[in-house]
Amino acid sequence: MMNCKDWEERVALHAGGDLAAAAAAGVERHLAECAGCRMLWSGIKESLELLQGAHAEAEAPGIYTAVRGRVLGDLQAGRMPWWRRGWVVGLAAAVAVMVVALASWPVPKVEILLPRVIAVIPPAPAAQALQAVRRQARGLPYRRRVVSPEQAGKTPRQPLMVRLVTDDPNVIIYWIAD
Amino acid sequence: MELAVLAMAGAAETPEEQRSVIEAAKSGDLAAFEILMRQHERLVLVTALRLVGNMPDAQDVSQEVFLKLYRNLRKVDGAQSIAGWLYRVTVNAVRDLQRRKRPEAPMEFAENLPAGGTDPQQAATEAERRRALEMSLRMLPEKERAALVLRDLEGLTTEEVARVLGSSEATVRSQISKARVKVRGFVERYFRSR
Repeated sequence: MMNCKDWEERVALHAGGDLAAAAAAGVERHLAECAGCRMLWSGIKESLELLQGAHAEAEAPGIYTAVRGRVLGDLQAGRMPWWRRGWVVGLAAAVAVMVVALASWPVPKVEILLPRVIAVIPPAPAAQALQAVRRQARGLPYRRRVVSPEQAGKTPRQPLMVRLVTDDPNVIIYWIAD
Repeated sequence: MELAVLAMAGAAETPEEQRSVIEAAKSGDLAAFEILMRQHERLVLVTALRLVGNMPDAQDVSQEVFLKLYRNLRKVDGAQSIAGWLYRVTVNAVRDLQRRKRPEAPMEFAENLPAGGTDPQQAATEAERRRALEMSLRMLPEKERAALVLRDLEGLTTEEVARVLGSSEATVRSQISKARVKVRGFVERYFRSR
């Protein structure tokens, strides 16, 4: 009894025209004797023809155009100058937003500590100055009164000027104190 | 390698013109690369479609293959070399895509597929026949499907298929014969059940 399983590969190859002349002739001789392998051979030929016929239709041109467009779009995007690439524009926008946000952020005021005036020594009024000169002439200590800024504001601020007349009319001594 | 460059749209172009187009594309000329794409787009898209079985995936694969071609233009010399390279990269890209996706039903379950209807007249419609044949391809294991598509639908020789798939000729012949027997079995079961 003939084992057709051993012939299956050769029959399948022969159906597609893939055997050399000598091998093809051997298969042809077997097919002439074996009805089962003849059915296999004709079935394979038929299904291959159906398959090839079903795939013979051309695809719509638009399908190719779409693929071409996608590929060229990708390539052009990759070759764009750096300043025209999307991610660069996005990064620049993000940096600009950050700069604006930082600039408008409330900054705490730094308080500059200046020396505080707690008291001033106002110029002595003319009467007081005269009294002071007298006290000094008598060998008494000169006392100046310390007043607060508020009190100082009420006191007229006039410089003390002492005019000393000497024997020589050309020599006059002025003593001015603030 | 005598690859059947079925995709060559510009059949009237001389080999010198072909070389100049390839050289221009290598130097970064996108217009020249578009010409190369037009010449080979059928090869890539149709092969991908026959292997993956649906147009959106086939278009994704085609896009990936052409972008790889642009980046690897220096590795290819002439139109025949490009065709062989494209077949190889297309098959690999499809393989990668299918590994990322859910595995398909094996051939053994083909007979359990639901029949489309009971009317024999309706069963004879061309659309249904085409769908059945598409399904027969998708039922094949990955390597057998690639061998059958390249040999019986793309028309490459067994030697060319072996080079594209990186296998021996004996392996490819075995894969092709198994695939043919399975497709015949699927087609007979499908159409007899209608």
